[in-house]
This record gives sequence, structure tokens and C-alpha cells, in this order.
Amino acid sequence: MRLLQFLVIFFTFILFLEGVKYGVGFSDYLIPPFFEIYGLIIHKWKDFFIPSLNTLLVAMAGHLLAILLAAIVAFFARGGSMLSNLVRTAAYNLQAYPVVAIAPLVFIFLGDGLASRLLIATIICYFPLLLNLLGIFSEPVEDVEHFFRQTGRLDSRTEITIRIFENLDKMITVIGGSSTLAMVGTIVAEFLAATMGIGYVIRKALYQNNLAAIVACLLYIGLCSSLYLIGVELLGKFIKKRLMA
Amino acid sequence: MEISAKDISFGYEETQPYLFNDLCLKISSPGFYSLFGFSGCGKSTLARLLAGLLKPQKGFVIKKGITNVLLCYNTERLPGWVSVGEHLDRAVSPKSSKKDLRYFISELGLSSVVDQKFFRLSMGQKNRANLARYLVQDFDMLICDEVLANVDEPSRNHILSLIKYRFGHHAILFYISHNVEEVCFFSKKIFVIPTGKETVEDLIEIDGLDGRDKKKEKGRQEILHETILKVLKAASYAYGQEI
Repeated sequence: MRLLQFLVIFFTFILFLEGVKYGVGFSDYLIPPFFEIYGLIIHKWKDFFIPSLNTLLVAMAGHLLAILLAAIVAFFARGGSMLSNLVRTAAYNLQAYPVVAIAPLVFIFLGDGLASRLLIATIICYFPLLLNLLGIFSEPVEDVEHFFRQTGRLDSRTEITIRIFENLDKMITVIGGSSTLAMVGTIVAEFLAATMGIGYVIRKALYQNNLAAIVACLLYIGLCSSLYLIGVELLGKFIKKRLMA
Repeated sequence: MEISAKDISFGYEETQPYLFNDLCLKISSPGFYSLFGFSGCGKSTLARLLAGLLKPQKGFVIKKGITNVLLCYNTERLPGWVSVGEHLDRAVSPKSSKKDLRYFISELGLSSVVDQKFFRLSMGQKNRANLARYLVQDFDMLICDEVLANVDEPSRNHILSLIKYRFGHHAILFYISHNVEEVCFFSKKIFVIPTGKETVEDLIEIDGLDGRDKKKEKGRQEILHETILKVLKAASYAYGQEI
């Protein structure tokens, strides 16, 4: 369904583009005709699909890293101690910096390889994840925790398990939402400096003023993002079903 | 064994007048006690003050010979990722035995739901499962805040009799309920919070029937009715209502 929705939106966009082209009378150089875009999508699919897959794999790794990192930081920042407050304040302040402004530093230190793409993807989806996980981990579920607290059984593990279980739907939504951000982060990194991935293909197409190639890239990016989002949502549903059984 | 509240004052917001002002309460022997009052009069707040979950702004709660005070309430939930039985098994305190747990599971009518997850139970079953886990803890005082609110009347009477006779001789049971008849019947003493005043300064203490069988003893039914009337009048006296 999500895939179908994306395809409908994408082809509506192409129709709009073609409508503008023929309505205003733009040249083929500025807006390529539909058959040129179609030809690229169908006949040169490998040139777009493989870089998109490459980007998706980096995005998935970055996303996983961001989830782990955000969970660890949220775990230590959830309490009321001085260290927790410090971590929380730092997390809130750091997220105010636009990642695109930090990205050049990453490229200076790590070069334009996999590490930079991975790190930028991680940073982009890390902050929204952190803020949401902080909210979930630091909000007591009093009706469940009360018994454990009264009887001295509320250790950190029980506390976190209760809070994750009680906010499972929220967690799945947040992780699903951030999966798209991971994809965005990786593409931004590739666009800025990397030599691989679909972001790099877009950069090349931009330098050549090749709008047909950019539109084809958008299609494959959308397909990969939608597939990843569907995968994350299915995994979330599966976990929920297993826990509720 | 004694718990007393000495001149305690408490309010939720500094700008508001106190909910309780110089309030005193004393329970000096084990048994079944109740706290009665209409909705919103501060029963749960007083229970939390006694349990040490809230701190009075003035005054003290003093405990002698009481180390473990537990408070349970009706909206509590068991963790959802394990079955009720599995959770109860893990919840038994070291001093209680699995035998005690099996006994309470059976007496509280939970045998048929131990394999189920908590969220699948009816409201009454949820209340009973919650109470069962508290009954297998070590406590000197158990405060039950409307803990059987969704349980049917015959089951409630059975459960109250059970806990009264099982724990009433060595622990303080402090029961909070809106059911005036069960409060009057089971309690040694009923503490009534009068409704209608902005600040409560005194609790009204009324002797209950302490579980004496109303059918066996002559005139018990009348005494029960009189007690019910006294409690209702005490609870609503600030309104000047005639019961």
C-alpha cells in the first residue's frame, strides 16, 4: 500500500512536470520529455538501482547505529542525577546545530568514504530518536512500576522494559519515521562529498544538468525508502504480535 | 505495632489552602481498619501520606514496630509481556511460599486466568490479580485503596473475610472503599473524612462491627444499620445533610 501510494505521488509529479513543460513551452533541455525519463528508468535501471541499494545499506547501518546510540544515551540521561541532566542538556543543545553545517568537519576528518556517509546518516536520525527515547525512558509508568518500586524490585532493567513495552507503538512509529531520515542523511552525505551511492549520482546529474537522471534517481530513492519503511513497520508489528501473544 | 499521624498538614499547591491541616490519626494494634469519605475528599492522599509516598508539609507520620508499609490501588497493572501466573511466581517475596501463592490464586478465583496476559482479563480479574501479588509480600501494614472496586459483591466479601482473618491478627489492614456496608461490617474502626470543607482538620472515628457475623448475633443487623448511618452522616456533615 505504501509503495502504491509512493508510485501514485511520483507519477503525479511527472505529469505535473510534463504539464508545465508543454503548458509553458519549456525546451527538452530544461525538462526532458516523458519517454526520455521512462527510457532511463527502464533501460538504465542498474545505474540508479544499484547506487540506491548501496545508499540503503549505508542508511540501514547508520539507522541501527543511531538507535543503539540514542538508546544508550537516553538510558543514562533518563534519571535526575547531575550527570543525567548534563547529558540531557548537551543532547538538546547539540541537536540545534544543522547537520549540513557539521558535515564538512566530518569529511575533513574522515574523508569521503563509507565512514563519513555512515556517520552523517547516524547523526541525522540520531537526534529525533534521542529526544523521543529520552521522553519514553524518563517518563514513569506509575500504574505498572508502583508495585516494583514498593517491593524494592525496580532495577534499571525492569524500569526500561516496562517503559519500552508500555510505549511500544510510539517506539515503532519513531523508529519507522527515523528510517526515512537515515536515508536522507546518507544521500546528503553522498551529495556533499562521497564518491558512491545515489547522492553521488544526483551530484553528477546536477553538474550535467541532466534532469531526467535526477527524476530517475528520485524514483529509486523513493522505492528504496518505502521498502525500508515497510520492512521496519513489519518488524515492529511482528515484535508487537509476539509480545502480545 | 503503631502508626500515627501527628498534626500533619498537606496541600498539593502552595497557593492553595491545605487539603489537611493539623490532622491526627492513630492506629495502635493490628486489625482491619477503613478510611471512608466521598469522592475527592482526600482518601488516596492520606493513604499516600501514611505509606510515605508523599511527605507532609508539616507534622510527622510515626511508625513503631512497622517496617514494611505497602500501598496497592485499583488502577495498577501487571507487566504485559509475561502471563499473570508467571508474574505472580516471580513476585512472591522470599518469606512467602509458593504454597501461599497457590492458595491466594485459588481463593481469589484466578486459577483460570494464570496463563493469560493481564490486558486480556476483565476489570474484576485485574483487581484480584493485583491484590494477589501484594498478599504474598512481607508487610506490617497493607493499604488497599479501592483495590476491589471492580469486583462483584460476593467475591469482594469473600476476599475481605479472607484477608481479614489471614492477616488481621498480625498486620494492619487499611482499607479504602466507597462501599459503606463492607466498611462498617469488616472494620474494627472507620476513619471518616468529612466532605464539603476546603481543609480537613479532623477525622471522625467510628467503631465498626469488626466482622462479627450479623446473622448469628442478635441485633447485629440493627447495629450495622446504625453504624452505616453514623458513617454516612459523618462523611456528609459539612453539607448539613440529613441522612
